Amino acid sequence: MKLIKCFKHAFNMVVHSKLRSWLTIIGIVIGVAAVIAIVSLGEGMQSQMNSQLNALGGDLLTITAGYSRGGGMWGGGRGRDGGGGAVATEDEIVLDRSDLQALRGISDILMMDTQIRDSVEVSFLGKKGTVSLTGVDQKVWSQITTLTIRDGRFLDSADQNVVVIGARLADTYFDQPLGINKMITIEGSSFRVVGVLDDSSTTIYMPLQMAYQILDDKDNDVYDSIIVKVKDENNLDESIAKIENKLMMIRHVTAKDRDFSISSNKQMSEQRAEMMSSMSMFLLAIAAVSLIVGAVGIANTMFTSVIEKTKEIGIMKAIGAKNRDILLIFLLNAALIGLVGGLIGAFFGGLLSGALPTLMGGTPFARGGTFVSLNSVVMALSVSMLVGVVAGAIPAYQGSKLKPVDALRYE
Amino acid sequence: MKKDSRQTMLHLEDVWKIYQMGEVEVPALRGVNVEIKKGDFIAIIGASGSGKSTMMNLIGCLDMPTRGKISLKGKDISLLSESELSSFRGRTIGFIFQQYNLIPSMTAFQNVLLPLEFLEVDDKKATEQAKKILDLVGLSDKFNSLPSQLSGGQQQRVSIARSLVADPEIILADEPTGALDSVTGREILDMLQRLWKDEGKTIILVTHDLKLADYAHTTIELMDGKIIRTHKKVIK
Repeated sequence: MKLIKCFKHAFNMVVHSKLRSWLTIIGIVIGVAAVIAIVSLGEGMQSQMNSQLNALGGDLLTITAGYSRGGGMWGGGRGRDGGGGAVATEDEIVLDRSDLQALRGISDILMMDTQIRDSVEVSFLGKKGTVSLTGVDQKVWSQITTLTIRDGRFLDSADQNVVVIGARLADTYFDQPLGINKMITIEGSSFRVVGVLDDSSTTIYMPLQMAYQILDDKDNDVYDSIIVKVKDENNLDESIAKIENKLMMIRHVTAKDRDFSISSNKQMSEQRAEMMSSMSMFLLAIAAVSLIVGAVGIANTMFTSVIEKTKEIGIMKAIGAKNRDILLIFLLNAALIGLVGGLIGAFFGGLLSGALPTLMGGTPFARGGTFVSLNSVVMALSVSMLVGVVAGAIPAYQGSKLKPVDALRYE
Repeated sequence: MKKDSRQTMLHLEDVWKIYQMGEVEVPALRGVNVEIKKGDFIAIIGASGSGKSTMMNLIGCLDMPTRGKISLKGKDISLLSESELSSFRGRTIGFIFQQYNLIPSMTAFQNVLLPLEFLEVDDKKATEQAKKILDLVGLSDKFNSLPSQLSGGQQQRVSIARSLVADPEIILADEPTGALDSVTGREILDMLQRLWKDEGKTIILVTHDLKLADYAHTTIELMDGKIIRTHKKVIK
């Protein structure tokens, strides 16, 4: 029998199949839908990661005091005298003016922004709250930051009692919107809002010197972090090495007991991407399990189907069917069950992935949205068909090997 | 008796069929010799348990003998591969079963078309042939009916159409009227007789009904796996 005819008969079998076949198909539907939804989530994450990496500024490094592989702030217990007038406690490891001076000597560095950070009490029109405050070097901040302004302007070198605020603080944090030129009270002092960022944070940015005044427990010329913009992003690793060497020298530490950390946005993004992709691999593995369960379902249905159609196989053989014909019809039938399941599954997978970001809320996993690529659909369809064929292989082979006389006698 | 010059269609030489029932060997056929010539109309009769079903399976090349040799049109069937035998059988023998054995999910037309599909006959030719044969058995208006929508007699006519569609030389009918009333049964047998007389088909009829055997010109009677009597009518 020609292949096309075998296909026709296999198709006929699916069309005339009973509820049982449809239940089997549902198994594949669930597996494929899950795989597609998860892959689309992963691809959405990937594309978000890429755009984020571009927006983050791959040429930025963040230097912080303390060093620990675990990522904590406070590393070794080695104390250090505060240079440059900084008053540091014996045990505290800090970044200060001398570090800044040392970094100034490195030609790879284009500019540096010194920052301090803490949480502060704020109030606006009687409504109070606690938000994060960042003091920045207003002379370079606007050039170094990857943030963008939505309303108003960045901080100016002449600025004193003014702040730039995150969009969420401006729009929804208080009962009334906190717009440009409005006054906000921070730790008892009044500040004028000159800019609103295009982001979704509640952070307040103010000139570094003002921040030292507001934040009592921060000492002058001691920084929480130094943001470095390098001249050439492509030499990032070299630049990091130079900075490390210089800082180790000035801080009298070796690679073993270093007490500062340098992180690049690039590295961070890459690490995060790695974490996300292993996470999505894990989810994919779970989805794959449901596909395997679906495959077992197909095998089961095919075995039953072969038994049920034993007499038909006998009839077909009596009237001229070769073993190959029977094998092909049943194999194609299994493949079709897989394919139909795959198609329906792809449809529901698409729907599901559309709904996922909403379902998962604002978890970082879903922030990138979803993206159902043709690739993942084609892959899911071929996998589901393959699953059908593999699962149907043994039953189909058994069916094809039936002796006509035995098959005909079967009731 | 003068020598019969007609072609030998089927030749069973000392054919034994022994079934293994656990420890016990049950012989169903014990050294049967039959030669069926082109244009014969043979009835194989016998009570149940006489071995006629076994004989019908062997004659139809659906089963292999335990001992002995079966030749279909001069070819020893034990030398053919399963697939070769299937094709050969499909071209040479048309089956009519007691229970019609139509494929329930296919229409009358699709059922009749099926043997031609297995033989990979060109689509256009196959369609024409299937239509012609369905017309011949008087089912022009039932092309698209499923077997479940047809009466027993109609189903048997579909099955006759299916057995004829590939133009086989031998028609093997196993109790073709067993499930039909006597009037319809007679119609079916008249049809078989016409095929024998007008088309020159070789007809082998397996039945327990002696009245049916009257239609045939040769009657072979089986008992306990052996041929006990071969009766030839005088052909005018």
